[in-house]
Amino acid sequence: MADDDRRDVRRPDPDALLALTEKDHRGKLTVFLGAAPGVGKTYAMLSRAKRLKTDGVDIVVGIVETHERSETAALLEGLDVLPRRRISYRGRMLDEFDLDAVLARRPRIVIVDELAHSNPDDSRHPKRYQDIEELITAGIDVWTALNIQHLESLADVVAQITGVTVRERVPDIVLKRADEVLLVDLAPSELIERLRDGKVYLPESANRAVDRFFRLGNLTALRELALRRTADRVDDQMVDYLKQNAIDGPWATGERLLVCVGSDPLSEKVVRVASRLASGLNAPWLVVSLERADREIDTAGHVQRIEALFRLAEQLGAETRRVIGNDFVEEILKLARREHVTQIVIGAPKRAGWRKHLKHALPEALTNRAAGLGIHIVTPEGPSGERMRRPLMIPKAQAWRQSALSAAGFVALTVLLGKTIDIFVDLPNISLLFLLSVLGASVAGGYVAAFLAAILSALAYNFFFIDPQRTFTIAAPHEVFALFVFLIVAMIAGGFASRIRQQAEVAGLRATELQSLHDFSRKLATTEKSEDAIWLTVSQLQSRLKRNVVFLLPRTGDLGVAAAWPPDTDLDVTDLTAARWTHDKREPAGHGTGTLPNSRFEFRPLLGPHGIVGVCGVEHAAEPLALNAERMLSAVLDQTAIALDRARLADETIVQAARLEGERYRDALLSSISHDLRTPLATITGAVTALRELGERMSAESRDDLLKSIEEESGRMSRFVANLLDMTRIEAGTLKPKRDWIDVTDVVQSAVERTRKHAPGHIIETSIATDLPLIRGDSVLISQVLFNLLDNAIKYGGREPVNVYARREGKDVIISVTDLGKGIPPEDLDRIFEKFYRRGNPDGRAPGTGLGLSIARGFIEAMGGKIHAESPALKKRGTRIVMRFLGSEEAKGSA
Amino acid sequence: MNPSRILVVDDEPQIQRFLKPSLAAAGYEVIEAVNGAEALKFVATQAPDLVILDLGLPDMDGKAIIASLRAWSDIPIVILSARDRESEKIEALDLGADDYIEKPFGIGELTARIRTALRHHGRRDAISSVMDVDDLRIDPIKRLVTRAGEIVHLTPKEYDLLLLLARHAGRVVTHRTLLTSVWGPAHGQDMHYLRVFIGQLRQKIERDPTQPQIVRTEPGVGYRMAEPD
Repeated sequence: MADDDRRDVRRPDPDALLALTEKDHRGKLTVFLGAAPGVGKTYAMLSRAKRLKTDGVDIVVGIVETHERSETAALLEGLDVLPRRRISYRGRMLDEFDLDAVLARRPRIVIVDELAHSNPDDSRHPKRYQDIEELITAGIDVWTALNIQHLESLADVVAQITGVTVRERVPDIVLKRADEVLLVDLAPSELIERLRDGKVYLPESANRAVDRFFRLGNLTALRELALRRTADRVDDQMVDYLKQNAIDGPWATGERLLVCVGSDPLSEKVVRVASRLASGLNAPWLVVSLERADREIDTAGHVQRIEALFRLAEQLGAETRRVIGNDFVEEILKLARREHVTQIVIGAPKRAGWRKHLKHALPEALTNRAAGLGIHIVTPEGPSGERMRRPLMIPKAQAWRQSALSAAGFVALTVLLGKTIDIFVDLPNISLLFLLSVLGASVAGGYVAAFLAAILSALAYNFFFIDPQRTFTIAAPHEVFALFVFLIVAMIAGGFASRIRQQAEVAGLRATELQSLHDFSRKLATTEKSEDAIWLTVSQLQSRLKRNVVFLLPRTGDLGVAAAWPPDTDLDVTDLTAARWTHDKREPAGHGTGTLPNSRFEFRPLLGPHGIVGVCGVEHAAEPLALNAERMLSAVLDQTAIALDRARLADETIVQAARLEGERYRDALLSSISHDLRTPLATITGAVTALRELGERMSAESRDDLLKSIEEESGRMSRFVANLLDMTRIEAGTLKPKRDWIDVTDVVQSAVERTRKHAPGHIIETSIATDLPLIRGDSVLISQVLFNLLDNAIKYGGREPVNVYARREGKDVIISVTDLGKGIPPEDLDRIFEKFYRRGNPDGRAPGTGLGLSIARGFIEAMGGKIHAESPALKKRGTRIVMRFLGSEEAKGSA
Repeated sequence: MNPSRILVVDDEPQIQRFLKPSLAAAGYEVIEAVNGAEALKFVATQAPDLVILDLGLPDMDGKAIIASLRAWSDIPIVILSARDRESEKIEALDLGADDYIEKPFGIGELTARIRTALRHHGRRDAISSVMDVDDLRIDPIKRLVTRAGEIVHLTPKEYDLLLLLARHAGRVVTHRTLLTSVWGPAHGQDMHYLRVFIGQLRQKIERDPTQPQIVRTEPGVGYRMAEPD
């Protein structure tokens, strides 16, 4: 037992191993990391490449900027340098890195310098690190170079140290996922010397920044950042190694961070701080945005800022989630418990003036209620702090005017009403009437109207109703108190009423949305064909989003436009490439994404339960999609994906069912044939062995009976084999009936005679018209068919006589065979012509082969005739098989 | 001694037609049934000593007949079956049928199967006396196996296997029966064990292990030990 336990503990972490195997299919990323330009990253990269090249490794240069420095350019000699892509960009010709050239060439290792580079607009990806990601996914190893100041999570730190804001940034996750990071180090003093000697290339425009940037203090700080990053990575690798090899160590911190953000400017800093904290703790982190449940109708700016923040957090390696609720503290703590969070990071914006005292700030409330959690509070820069005003709170001028109008209107109405009532009765509590007007204004106009109405009401109340009237002075002290209480009550009540109104509005909006979604899904559920489902979706999206929409479905290997609104929408090459990207990688592409943002459309994958079923493109407009539209879109796409998936499954089911049916048919055929052959064989073998081994002990009668059964079974087998051969000929299409002129009387007579010989004792009556024309056909085949029919009629007809009729009907000649047996149920009339269809044992006799009628049909149809069955035939009994042939023009005369 | 009475259950009239006189000539009394209901009725009322049962009957599944017979009777059952119905055959044997014979068959083969089944009837559990097959001697009391007078060293599993086959000498024993009785119920599907052990057993007991005479293979069904001398 103890042994087992120990083994268990020392088993490698499966997740760590899995990550390792997944890495195997991908190319490897090697990053040459430096503290600043000029430390010699490109040089180090190229000299290493040269060494590998002489060892015979397939390494090529995708792009390297030598900046016309001779020592670097010299290193390029002897290396394969791939051609660049020439493009014109803002009137200039640029040489750019050609991603497709590398993908086509498929080297083992490719050198792509300058990881932080931004691509020109028409490129597939806006950033070079995305190009590199694609190369790695394609299984190509990539070497690249990076300066530490381009790292996203360090952007604010770098700006603080150097005073220069870096625009080209690389997400930390890129460096984190790199398989190898090589630090290229140079002492800062030496670097400054190289700079003075002109050995460091810098663009001319940057000359002014250079003096600020290349200072000893800056360079030392950057160098420290680079060294620390590399050391962190080495530490991570150590931990990974320990995990993979199941070596005990203090590696599992078990920490998990929850980061709360909003749309305020401080949140970006919160994310960066949390990122550094998380990487220091080696802990996963979850970023959540906090939104009020009743703040649905929001300006898009808020949503956009949150979106941007989420993108940043994801690039830095976080998970992101939206939390909607009214009690933020409760929501945060609930999430923290569910996600096993150990530490919470939250920003504490400085509140201006009076708002500071209005209510508990969120961080404070969290600290009060969170038990056992670490809480990090991030404060804004500088002692004075930026003004953290929430920009959404200021209503637009028009909204102000409306609120003021409704407030004034309600108050004026109340004054009139109050005065009118005052004439008739003495109302002691006219203030209640004003409260009503505040409620009315708040329901009609919201917060602002409520606030204004409360103040106006207080003033009007004082002016019109409190003695001395028509002044703002108040005589009785208790009236002052009453007015004050009234103002407070009015404000609180107004606040509540307006909030209720807002919630009702939100609920109404959601209900409409839900109703429309529900209608859509109900319609979708009734569609069976994928085209119908797609057109339904297109019209739904078009009408709700007011945007152009296009749908693409995979068709015979490539994506094709299945539906679009307007119907003549054309996709250009960029759009199609983006759509294909979405289909292949199952991730959004096109406008607003990291891939081919030049496309007019944003493409999203339609993912059903069994993989991708199609791609939907929504044309972009000046305004990004609102939150509710976004939600509607993804709900509609999800439902469409399921509907398409279902349609596809239905198609597959039909094909599958047909195949199964075919298989079942073949099985039945085989088992029928084997049974038909085996039973006579078994009888013959058994009878023969019995005669040989036990014959002496049998009576002469028994011996005779055995011999007779052998004879009969042999005959039956030979008939069956002959039938099978006929059937095979019919099925293979090799049956070539002769087209002779045949006298029906002759054929019928010969068939009847043959049947009588075969089954003596049965009555067969014939009735043949005398004016029959000749028919075209093969007399042998017709005679065989008649024999089969007569044999059947005798078998199923009991002891009753069998009738053969031949008569003329217009130009046609009809030949029929009728028995008076039990007959055939109408539903079986067609099936009796199927192969191996048998209607049970007719009498005690051996059953037929199940081929007679299908051969008859095959023969007759091959001769251009027709055959069908009728039942009951006569006196509610019996079966009649009717054959119809086209007769010749003239009657043959009397027989 | 009265002749043994055999119930032939087959819906093919021509099979009945040759079986009846043949079995009668071999010294058996024959009763015929053409479907399952009749078969069950006749076993209950006519007291046959053995049933020959065709698995493909019009009214009910042959396996169901075996199952309901086995609920109250241990009458020997010999199955008539076709080669393409292999799984059905094995199921029937596992349900308690005693033996099977494939169509088409010779009458000598059938009477041999009938004799073996009748002989085993009533003493189905143990062989208590020494048994000789070919030049092999199995002594279950001493747990001793000798070939041509020389002791054959068998592992306990090999001995169990041999004894099980010997107990059913002349009759087929399915893979499943062998596996579950020797290795236990959890190993009903572990065919490879069986193949390996049968191979080892043959190495030790057969004169020529490449052409086994004592333990014969019934392809796809099981093994059959030769009848004792």
